[in-house]
Parts: sequence; C-alpha cells; structure tokens
Amino acid sequence: MSEYIVEMHNISKGFPGVQALDQVSFTLKAGEVLGLLGENGAGKSTLMKILAGVYTKDEGTIKILGQEVPFLTPHSAQGLGIAMINQELNLCDHLTVAQNIFLGREVLRGGRLAERAMNESAARLLEEFQIDIDPETLVGDLPVSKRQLVEISKALAHNAKILIMDEPTSALTAKEIQNLFATIKRLKKEGCGIVYISHRLEELQHVVDRVMILRDGKYIVDMAFRDTNLDEIISYMVGREITEKFPRVETKRGEKVFEVKNLNAGRLVRDINFSLYEGEILGIAGLMGSGRTETLRAIFGADPKTSGQIFIHGEEVTISNPEDAIRAGLVLVPEDRARDGLCTRLSVRENIGLPNLDHISNRLTVVNHRREMEITAEAVQDFDIRLASEESLAESLSGGNQQKVVIGKWLARDSKVVMFDEPTRGIDVGSKVEIYQIMNELKQQSIGVVFVSSELPEILGISDRILVMADGRITKELKVEEATQDLILHYATQFEKKLDPVEQIEVG
Amino acid sequence: MNNREKRGLLKRILAKRGMGQVITVTIGLIAMVVVFSFLNPFFLTSRNISNLLRQIAPTLITGIGQSYVLITGNIDLSIGSVVGMSCMMSATLMTKGVNPWTAVLITYAAALLMGFLNGQLISKAKLPAFIATLGTMTIARGIAQIVNNNYNTDSIGQAGAGFMDFFYYGKTFGLFNTIWIAFALWLIFNFILSQTRTGRHLYAVGSNIHAAHLSGVNISATITKAYLVSAFCSCTVGLITTAISGMGTMDAGTGYELYAVAASVIGGVSTLGGQGILLGTVIGAAIWGVLQNGLQFAGAPVAIRNIVIGVIVIITVLLDILVRYNKKAGRRQAAAEGTHVSV
Repeated sequence: MSEYIVEMHNISKGFPGVQALDQVSFTLKAGEVLGLLGENGAGKSTLMKILAGVYTKDEGTIKILGQEVPFLTPHSAQGLGIAMINQELNLCDHLTVAQNIFLGREVLRGGRLAERAMNESAARLLEEFQIDIDPETLVGDLPVSKRQLVEISKALAHNAKILIMDEPTSALTAKEIQNLFATIKRLKKEGCGIVYISHRLEELQHVVDRVMILRDGKYIVDMAFRDTNLDEIISYMVGREITEKFPRVETKRGEKVFEVKNLNAGRLVRDINFSLYEGEILGIAGLMGSGRTETLRAIFGADPKTSGQIFIHGEEVTISNPEDAIRAGLVLVPEDRARDGLCTRLSVRENIGLPNLDHISNRLTVVNHRREMEITAEAVQDFDIRLASEESLAESLSGGNQQKVVIGKWLARDSKVVMFDEPTRGIDVGSKVEIYQIMNELKQQSIGVVFVSSELPEILGISDRILVMADGRITKELKVEEATQDLILHYATQFEKKLDPVEQIEVG
Repeated sequence: MNNREKRGLLKRILAKRGMGQVITVTIGLIAMVVVFSFLNPFFLTSRNISNLLRQIAPTLITGIGQSYVLITGNIDLSIGSVVGMSCMMSATLMTKGVNPWTAVLITYAAALLMGFLNGQLISKAKLPAFIATLGTMTIARGIAQIVNNNYNTDSIGQAGAGFMDFFYYGKTFGLFNTIWIAFALWLIFNFILSQTRTGRHLYAVGSNIHAAHLSGVNISATITKAYLVSAFCSCTVGLITTAISGMGTMDAGTGYELYAVAASVIGGVSTLGGQGILLGTVIGAAIWGVLQNGLQFAGAPVAIRNIVIGVIVIITVLLDILVRYNKKAGRRQAAAEGTHVSV
C-alpha cells in the first residue's frame, strides 16, 4: 500500500483561452506539510480546487487514501476528508462560532436544535487545539485571524484529513501566525496532510516539510525543504535567477515636500509627526493593527481627524475629505483593492478615469472620452497592465494587474505625494518587482512616496527611511542603513504598558 | 472605407456594456408588436401608435428617475406619492387662482425638496434607501391629502387650458407634447448619465461606494443628485396627471414607483447598482406600455394584464441573472489560475 493519502496523476485542466494545468502530478503524505508554490497563474489554486471538487479535471486520475476517485464534487470531497480553507472565509457573520462549526449538520434533540450540546462539543474541539475562542461569540464580532481559526476548526469537526490552506497568514499578526503554525504542527502529528499555499516565502521554513513548484500550469520541481533555500525556490518559480530582489535606485534627497504635524484620529493614530523629502521613499513598518492604515486614511481625509496639520511644499493644506486631498496633490493607493480601490464591475477605462474626471472633462463637466482613452492607454502602457481591452471589467484582471490599475488611476494626474498601503499584498513576485519600480520612478521624479508594508524585507529593500509604528504611535524612525529586521520588530512590539482608562472605555 | 468605419461604430455600440440585454429585450418588444398587430389590425394604426407613445411617456419619465437611483445602488419608493403630491399641489394652487406656470414652479420646488430629503437621509444620515423612501412615500401621500383638506380638487378650469395643452393635449410636429417632454427629458438625462462627470460618479457609487469615496467622489452629493432627478421626473409626471383630468386626485400615481422599477429592470438596470443604461429603460417602458395597450385591445381584463406584466418582469430578470451567472462562472474559472482571488 502506498504511503500517500493523495495521489494525482497527469491532471490537465483547460479554461477558455488558457491551459491552466498541463499533465501535473501531485502527491501528499500523511503527517506532511507541503508548500505548493508558484506565481499567480501558475495553477496552484486550480489544482487544489480540483482536489476539493470545485472544478472537474479534463484528464488524469485522482487517488485518495489509495482509492481511485473518478468523480469529485465539493460534497463528496468533504466526505473523503478534504477541506479547503480559502482566503475569502466561508462563514456566516450572524451566527455564532458553534453554529458555524455545525452548520449543515446540526445536532438535534427531539427535533429541536441542541444548542448546548453543540456549544459544548465546539468548546471541546477548540480546547483540544488550544484555540482561545468562546464558541458562543458571533463570528462577525471576531477579528479575521480568529475567523480563520474557526474555519480550521470547522474543517476538523468534519474529520478532515487533508487540509488545503490558501494564503492563511495574509491577515494575521506575528503572534497569530505562531498560533496557527502551532496548530498546523499539532495537526501534522495527528496524521493530517496539509497543503500550504503562500506567497510569503519567509514563513515556509517554520512549517513546511516539502515544497512543490508549479509554473505556467506545469510541474517544475518537488524537493525536501531542508535541501533547498529561498533563492533556489524563487528561481524555480520565476524560471530565472533574480539577482536583485529589490531594485533600489539612489537619488539625492531634496527639499521637504510633505509634513504631518501632531496628527490625531482615534486610538490608532496618536501624535503622528513626520516629514518627507524629495527623492525618498518613506517606509512605514508595524504589525497588523498598529495604526498604519488608519494614519494614511486620516491624512487622506477618508476618516475624520481630531487634530493635526498637513503641509505640502511648505504650505498648509486643509484636508477634510478625499476630494481635498486629491486637489492638494496627495493621493492614496488603498490596502484592500477589491473593497477600496476598484469599482470591479466598471471597466478599466472608467476606473482610471474616475479620480481624473476633473482633468478630462470640460467646464460643463462633459467627459472627453478621447482624453479618457488616452490617459488609460498611457497608464496601460506605462505600467504594463495586461488586459484584453481597456473596456474589460476590472474584476476580470488578475490581482497584480488590478493593483496596477489602482496605481495607474492615481498616477495619471500630477500628484505631489503618493501613499501606498500594502501595494504588493497577494500578488506574484513579478508584479511586485514592477510595483517597486513604479515607486522608484516616482522617487526619481521628486514625488514623495509613503510606503506601508507588513513585509519587512520589502520595507528594508525599498525605503530610504523607515518609521516604525506600534499602538497608533511612531515608536522609532530608522535610516535604512541602520535598520534590520530584528530592530524593526523590536520597535514594532513596543506596545504601551497600560491603556488610559478613558480610552479603554472607548475601545470597549 | 466609410463602410468599415460604420462597422467599427456598430461594433463599438454593440460592445458597450449593458447593450446585450437592451438588444435582447428589443427583440422581445418587436416580437410583441408583431403578435399584437396580428391579433388586432388597429394596433399599428398611426392613431394607436400616437396614443400608445403618450401612454408610455409617464412610465418612461418615472423610469428615468428610478434608473438614476438604481444605478447608485439605491431605490426610490416615493415616486408614486411624489406624483400624487405634485398632482394635488399644482391643481390646488390653480383652483385657488394661482397662475398655472407659477403653480408649476412651486410644485417643482416642493418635489425637489422631497428628493433632497431622500438623498440627505440616505447619504448623510445613512438610512437604508428602502426605509428612507418608504417614509417619504408616506409623507408625500399625506401632503397630497392635506393640501386640499382631504378632497380631490375641482376642475382647474379655463385658466388651466394652456397648461393642459402643454403637458398633455397639445401636439407639436404632429406628436403629442407629452411624447416630446419624455423625449427631451430622456435626451438630457441620458446625456448627463453617459457623458458627464456626475454620470460617471453615479455608476462609481453604485459599483463600489468605498472606492468611489477614496477616489474623491462626493458620495452624498452624488446620491442626492440621483434623488433630485427622480423627484424632478416624478413631479413632471404629476403635472401630466393633472393635465390629463384637469383636476387633482389624491391617489394619483399609486404604484408608479414599481412600474418605474419594472421599466428599469426589464431594460437591464441592475437593482444592485452600477449597471444599466437609459436606452434600456426606454425599451423597458415600451414593453410595459405595449403589453398594457395590446392586452387591453385584445380584451384582456386588468387583472390578467397585471399578472402578465409581473411574469414578464420576473422572466427578464431571471434571464439576465442566468446570462450573468454563466459569464461570471467563466470568469471565475479563468481567474482561478491566479492564487489571489479578490474578495
């Protein structure tokens, strides 16, 4: 008998216009964590969705626990112990943790829901995996990280033996990631096989036993993690050696372009002071929930400020809403592109036109479609946005290209300061480099760049100066030459020892 | 050369988003016209066509307003009541001896105030559109009842003759004025929606309110504008109603908000916002009118007409959902080779 719990042989799958998978074979052992890696479009998700019964294969065979399975549906896959934990979590916000865990297979007593029994058994399950969540909390009240743990618990309650995790850590803080890894290790010991898909290569070393790399729908390599290193993995993913992961350009620091003084806006934005000079990229580092996004939003006028002054080229500007900010030449590329960045059901042209309508319409506000096409075509060319047509809906683009549209819509106008909030989250290595290059170009054009990121290597690789935030305050300013990951983490974890009682009430 | 250019234009028109459903329902409309013209030889007489167009006009006008609001992702339930309020107000003023055109201006002002209230309640006070306009719907109906002490008005008389001609009975270039009014409003509001900044903002707000906000779109002003347009359209229909009977009736316009939704939705305007074009609303209103008129001609009682129209609304939306679902499924699969599926 084979030691594999999953064996997929020569799987092929085509979609109209694209061969997503071409003769890919895949195996997974019990008690193993397999890192499934590849750039966007490599076919990882497609392969896993075939395993989870979401897609049907065109060709190939699948064996689960040694049994050949000719046909899989999401339901039968679940029955075979396969669970997929998606980036978009599939939980009902208005139900409790226990109700979610038992959704679809509720325990009944005399025809009535046995809420107490379900709560108790959910509590036992959570305790077993040392997950500190009250089963009676509403899922909607939990932070994203905990929802993810609920989703995992739900899978375990179904006796899942094969867990597929797609970018499980993208929304987690360092501590939550450690908890998740501890959970993964425990599952491993119980004999579960885990497929771990992530762009965060640095994390692999903590959990992964083996990596398998796909590129353009083809199997590339499969190797024990201890026999390889990140450089080698990356070179297999992109198919070429990346000599310089972070393209850095040196420019001379010029005049002050931007200054924020005494900015306050709620608990997560307190006494923020910083300046930004021509020809520099200012990185803002910090853990999740340290107030970086909130700071940018307050500066941009998306959220109200309680106090603070903002200067652009030495002149004070009043910003009480995004319109004011845009007029003053200050723009924000937001963190969550699907929620805040794009009108996904409008075309690329309309998205790029949207913040620039003042430039491309006449006094009667009639939009000049030719000008709009021109600026769109320019952005598409400048940022190498890959699309079928400018009229394609934004939602039809890949993550990296969507992000380039979000950036493109802001750079089509002459802005003085551009703030990027996590611009590379969830996009492939190639697109990341392109976004770094865009930031570098802005820097060379003396446009001020503010760059928020949770990934320390890129903060270190791209910024000239780094602000570290914790608990809504700037805890340290570092020159890039003196900054190291350890040092940043040190300041990023300088939480306040005690909360002001008044603020505690506000928080609660 | 010329031919190729033409084909390019045709292709561009066909490629325009929302055109798909417009074309489908236009084919449906043509089919209905054909069927009714066989059933009834008088259906396609110029006299009936002229009447038919005039019958469609109010639905089209309120449909324009409702489409504006639907595109922002909201709904206006107050349309019918604003029609009633405008009807009663204008007629009451005229019977009290106010100059008809002054009465028209005052009535527009009152209706726009209602629209402004809707817009502010929804965009500033963040009330759900359904609730806010349910409230103003009741308020406007109350005003319709109160302005003449809970009675329909007397005839607006000879002084109102010019007013009645302008809004309903008169003809210009051989067509009833009502048709011209609807056509003019359609031209203006179609232009604003498709060619101006305001139009683009309406779509953006309906498509993704967060992204629109962060792109510098004034959300509150945009939503308020949509409701102002809706109130303006409703008021115009209210005035037409006054002109038809020469008096004010308190229950005028009852149910119009839903006919307006029907016209919009049949024409491809999405109730989820961000989608639809006014050309569709015209076809939607025409289908509604042709069904009413054709079934009436064919001798079908009102109850049957209502049932048929209800069924048509459901079928068109269902078809649209099916088409969109298939497209989306394809897209989802195509996007699937990317690991990051946007939420």
